[in-house]
Amino acid sequence: MESTTIEKIVEVDKHIGCAVSGLMADSRTMIDRARVECQNHWFVYNESMSVESCAQATIAIQFGDSDDDGAAMSRPFGVAILFAGIDEKGPQLYHMDPSGTFVEFDAKAIGSGSEGAQQSLQEMYHRSMTLSEATTAALTILKQVMEEKLNSSNVEVMTMTPTNFFHMFTKEQVEEALKLVAIQEQSKGDLRSIVSTAEVMSIK
Amino acid sequence: MSSVLCPDISNSGFSFDNCARNAALEGKGFPVPKATKTGTTIAGIIYEDGVILGADTRATEDTTVSDKNCSKIHYLASNMYCCGAGTAADTEMTTNMIASQLELHRLFTNRTVPVCTANQLLKQYLFRYQGYIGAALVLGGVDNTGPHLFSIYPHGSTDKLPYTTMGSGSLAAMAVFESRWKPGLTEEEGKKLVRDAIAAGIFNDLGSGSNVDLCVIRKGTVEYLRTYEEANKKGKRQSSYRYPPGTTAILSTKTANIEVHDVSVQRIDTDLLMDTTS
Amino acid sequence: MASVANPSFPDYSTQAPTQHMFSPYADNGGSVVAIAGDDFVIIGADTRLSAGFSIYTREQNKLFRLSDNTVLGCAGCWCDTLTLTRILKARMQMYEQEHNKTMSTTAAAQMLSTMLYYKRFFPYYISNILVGLDNEGKGCVYSYDPIGHCERASYRAGGSAGALLQPLLDNQIGLKNMQNVTNKTVTLDRALAVVKDVFISAAERDIYTGDKIMIIIITKNGIKEDSFDLRKD
Repeated sequence: MESTTIEKIVEVDKHIGCAVSGLMADSRTMIDRARVECQNHWFVYNESMSVESCAQATIAIQFGDSDDDGAAMSRPFGVAILFAGIDEKGPQLYHMDPSGTFVEFDAKAIGSGSEGAQQSLQEMYHRSMTLSEATTAALTILKQVMEEKLNSSNVEVMTMTPTNFFHMFTKEQVEEALKLVAIQEQSKGDLRSIVSTAEVMSIK
Repeated sequence: MSSVLCPDISNSGFSFDNCARNAALEGKGFPVPKATKTGTTIAGIIYEDGVILGADTRATEDTTVSDKNCSKIHYLASNMYCCGAGTAADTEMTTNMIASQLELHRLFTNRTVPVCTANQLLKQYLFRYQGYIGAALVLGGVDNTGPHLFSIYPHGSTDKLPYTTMGSGSLAAMAVFESRWKPGLTEEEGKKLVRDAIAAGIFNDLGSGSNVDLCVIRKGTVEYLRTYEEANKKGKRQSSYRYPPGTTAILSTKTANIEVHDVSVQRIDTDLLMDTTS
Repeated sequence: MASVANPSFPDYSTQAPTQHMFSPYADNGGSVVAIAGDDFVIIGADTRLSAGFSIYTREQNKLFRLSDNTVLGCAGCWCDTLTLTRILKARMQMYEQEHNKTMSTTAAAQMLSTMLYYKRFFPYYISNILVGLDNEGKGCVYSYDPIGHCERASYRAGGSAGALLQPLLDNQIGLKNMQNVTNKTVTLDRALAVVKDVFISAAERDIYTGDKIMIIIITKNGIKEDSFDLRKD
């Protein structure tokens, strides 16, 4: 399988990015909706949509309550989504589950390896992390919960910063980040192997 | 292609043949110029000793006021005045023209001209032009048979009435007359009534405004009260709008020197002038 | 004769095309003037509502408070104004509930533009001027054409006397066509005086402007209201 064709982190707007796990086909529908909502908000109000409003608008399709086609839900979307964005309230991270519930987080992991990853996040995360510390922590945890060996083609990294907003790491930047992870692990000298495939993980 | 079996059906009524040409001219930037219409309140009453005429003083061009204090009570003869509403030029020219005819008539007959004569001249003149002369008039005067008041419409019809109003503010003014006019009003009562009628037009009709003019015509005397009442005072400015010298840009200057070659003063002896005093 | 040529037509009818007209608009007059400063904005509108040569009322407020720091001034077709402002009020409330915040002046300005353009081929016949404080607390004025063109300015006159007053504002507030003037910013007192004076002049020459003006001043301390009498003829 060509791993680059699987895209789990996507740009919704300049200031909002999404990481998804679950049924990818369903996620596409929701991401499309989120993008449309953001563009419409910009068109009507000439301002960027807040992350919370974006999440709210996205679950609305689940129930068909904001469309004129009426409520047309046959089954819920089988997707969990992380919304990472920056608005007037600062950096925001929202998690939305297939029921449509969305909750704000400081750090959150979703997907098949999320249980272990969330556990590790609990230990590693603190509010005064720097961007590179956070990147390294995220990749370290991902490495712990993934079956495969981490490399630049089976992992995606996105940063959302007040200066650059949505930024997807290039292959070179991912390799650079992975190197940092390796160096840090060597210095700590403990290599644990946790078997599971982490889909996505994010740190605010 | 017309034939006996299939004739062209000509349009009935007025020919609009020139409309296309006029529209083309307008498209090229030559619109038909607009005439100044005086949205107006004019009124007149008969009181115990004569006639009182009244008018507002606003002249409008579409929705802008073109003259804030124009005079709408026109002279016709020493015993007759006429208020004009409608197209400004028409009321002005019509009354002037009739005034000259009346003066000639007075000289010819050597009598005070009766008011009904002026009425007849005006209606015949206006009828000739089928309403295209946009003058709506209130004619008032006193002659040997007493006071008379007429209203004359642009098409040439006239009414002889004890009280009447004309112009866009006519309804507002007539409302006042209908409620308060009665025969045998005194001059003071009459002036007050006409003032109130004109004021009703000034305040309630957008085509009328500014001040009240009155004209009281008695047997033998006329009192023309220009600006009888200043019904509306201009608001007081909050700040000054004087520009300091040097505000306007001088784009170019050119100096031309005038050379004085010679100066001579010639005194004129006043005694030698022709006497023109007698 | 017509019946000979075309038996289906009655005598009085011709084959000439018939023009039908539908004019669902009314011009109810009124003027709006707005001036923005560094930390305030001021908007004034006359209170005369009229049609043709008659006055409907001498005390119709034409300023609409959309939020604590946004005000809209409307002149033109009054029924369109009523409808537009009702929808605006609803949209302001919907935004508040959907996004948990009050709409900013800039957002309201853009929303009004889209609402007007939404009716591109059956427009609201209104001259709109929207004022408020922007996200930096600066005064701002947005002016619109009836179909949604939006322009941010620092001063603007609109409505029946708009064409009469704009050049005056250009000179007095924009300091246009003058030499040796220091480009100083307008103070609140000066703006208030100019708004009043400008309406005095408008009432002199425009028959649809008069009776009274309502003035709204927005500063960081909130909204203040003022009124001023004009001539009533």
